[in-house]
Amino acid sequence: MTQMVQIFLLGMSLGGVYALMAAGLTIVFGVMRIVNIAHAAFMFIAAYITYFLFQSFGVDPILSILVTMPVMYLLGVVVYRLVFARIADSSRFAELTVLLTFSLALVIEGLLGAMFTNIYRSTNPRYATDAILFGNFYLPEGQFYATLISLALLGGLWLFLRTTRTGYAIRAAMQNRTAAQVVGVDVSRISTIAFGLGMAMAGASGSLSSFLFTFFPGKHWEWVAILLSLIVLGGMGSLLGSLVGAFALAVSAAYVSYFYGPTWSPITFFLALFLILMFRPRGLFGKPMEA
Amino acid sequence: MKRTVWFVLSSLMILAVVLSACAAPAQPEAPAQTAAPAQTEAPAASQPPIRIGASLPMTGGFAINGQLHKEGYELCVKLINDKGGLLGRQVEMVISDNQSDTETAIAQTERLINQDKVDFIFGTFSSRLTFPMTPITEQAKMVHPIPAGAALRIYERGQKYIFYFQPNAAEYVGKSPVEMIQNLVPEADRPKTVAIVHADDFFANSIVIGLTGGKVEIEGSDRVVDLAPGVLAEAGWEVVFQQQWPEEGFSDWISLANSIKASNADMVFGLTASPDETIQLVRAMQTVDYNPKGVYLSQGTQEEFREGVGDAANGIFIHSSWHPAVQWEGLLAGEPFTNQDFIAAYQAEYGKDPDEDVAIPFAICQGIDQAVRAVGSTDNTAVRDWLAARTEAEPVKTILGDFHWDERGLPLNKPFLMTQWQNGELKFVYPLGEFPGTVDLIWPKPEW
Repeated sequence: MTQMVQIFLLGMSLGGVYALMAAGLTIVFGVMRIVNIAHAAFMFIAAYITYFLFQSFGVDPILSILVTMPVMYLLGVVVYRLVFARIADSSRFAELTVLLTFSLALVIEGLLGAMFTNIYRSTNPRYATDAILFGNFYLPEGQFYATLISLALLGGLWLFLRTTRTGYAIRAAMQNRTAAQVVGVDVSRISTIAFGLGMAMAGASGSLSSFLFTFFPGKHWEWVAILLSLIVLGGMGSLLGSLVGAFALAVSAAYVSYFYGPTWSPITFFLALFLILMFRPRGLFGKPMEA
Repeated sequence: MKRTVWFVLSSLMILAVVLSACAAPAQPEAPAQTAAPAQTEAPAASQPPIRIGASLPMTGGFAINGQLHKEGYELCVKLINDKGGLLGRQVEMVISDNQSDTETAIAQTERLINQDKVDFIFGTFSSRLTFPMTPITEQAKMVHPIPAGAALRIYERGQKYIFYFQPNAAEYVGKSPVEMIQNLVPEADRPKTVAIVHADDFFANSIVIGLTGGKVEIEGSDRVVDLAPGVLAEAGWEVVFQQQWPEEGFSDWISLANSIKASNADMVFGLTASPDETIQLVRAMQTVDYNPKGVYLSQGTQEEFREGVGDAANGIFIHSSWHPAVQWEGLLAGEPFTNQDFIAAYQAEYGKDPDEDVAIPFAICQGIDQAVRAVGSTDNTAVRDWLAARTEAEPVKTILGDFHWDERGLPLNKPFLMTQWQNGELKFVYPLGEFPGTVDLIWPKPEW
């Protein structure tokens, strides 16, 4: 019984990080219908920035979120204006974005490989290998902090979407792009901001994952596959969905790992994806309007 | 909504293609070969360089090992060239990066032989990459010295041109740590229960078979090598936990470490071909505060490992084919060349300390250097015959010690060294008495 609770705790402490990773992806899809295959590649840019700051200046990986979020936001704005804005009116926009983000991912992977080589990296702050003990249980300190910060950021994002004018506009655009345009929302500007926000989320999750998982440039494919299953489970475009999907799958994967062995734990994600597409293609929280 | 599903499906299909290209698929039979290039002696006047091809994993999962292998080969070739070359010709390495990918390694090996028409092939890193490469070199009658391809299956296919430049096949690796503990640790302190965790990897699976007494099936024949009852059963140690992790997409190391901890095993065998995974494993065991008496890893002698785990390395032991303290004496360009000469040369060239992933390829280059000088030509069959004819009294002499091989291409009478991390340094702890330079084993492992 103790062990069952412990596994639940371990799963939960990973879930928040998955949720933050998935949130950026889902918001970009929700507002702009961009299936951002390059999302994890952008996350890795932030992870490498964090690694660089940690190795060169000893900057704490969690603190470096203060750098990676704005940097990634700006990068997101630039990329959106350069790459996506000009094709926004195309009738085949969605299909084009899959190809575009796919090639973006390849370009990022190549650049990171050239700059940082393909050796596995991770940052190694003290809390990365410590645990918080309470009674018979423990929580990995790094995962715990990362999940707390992820939840705080997600809460901030939620508040932003609920209480600010820009937030209203983003939600309006997520619900119905054309109608939002009709009532005077500058959809192009809103899309740019939303893409930037998505990338800022990728930035924060990249910094946090730098001490939780090793990374090398080509590894982002593994992550984007996992993230896509998370957001499809939750319902693409739904923030709440990505949160629930992330926790559900992280906990399931931890139990699968315990009972059936780690070989099966990555399969949990893809099995869930398969089942949800078969039986409830719109996902758990499937109205893509929801924020 | 339908559109949504299609976007997801199409993007996933793209991903599937990409991932399958990255993953290591099952090995197909090597494609039919064109005839081996004829060995034509160059006219004495022009003297083109002797070209040696190698397809190495310079990027991807084996990048650390692959880059060190490149340094080992290149350092040796440079030293030979500095001493006047080989048969009066300069030596040149032709290295291509196979990205740790099996298909790429196969294609590059064929290109090196058929298009680049190199004079010799030097082997690559890992059993997974080596296994499909040796049929290609065998068919082309090219000598294939193997630096890291320990799986017994490689050597049980009746191939004549392969020579392994490490002490023994992976199936026998597990003997070394067990024998060391039996000889150095008092009976009462020895482990009684063992946890085995390993990558789903060619090399790691091979070690597991040896530890637990499995069977090795040899592809393309009905031969089966039975290793029962296994090294652990012979020692009377009980396996209380055994799990493998997948080669791709595994990230939840802490849950795995938690399961190992729940088994409460006295000792952990962590087996993989890549130090990156042992770094993850050690960090996770440290995080969940699981302190077994002993931790043996199949990878982790590298400086990258020490950096990755920090002080947690203390007390962990790893088998090794090489150690800087061992005073082996080899030959290079016809002159005596000791292990210590090698260390000095490497430090001068690269400004850091070498490890076994540099020393082993260096030894391969020494072996081919000796063979070519002895037969006086680059004829691969003559070189192969000379290597196969080595004996205990007339071995190939390298910085890894002396080598002579059985008919499978596995070295005879070579024990592994056991090394242990002690306060930031990789010490050499076993076997005792054969070489100077051993230090006392730390047992049990200090708490994290």
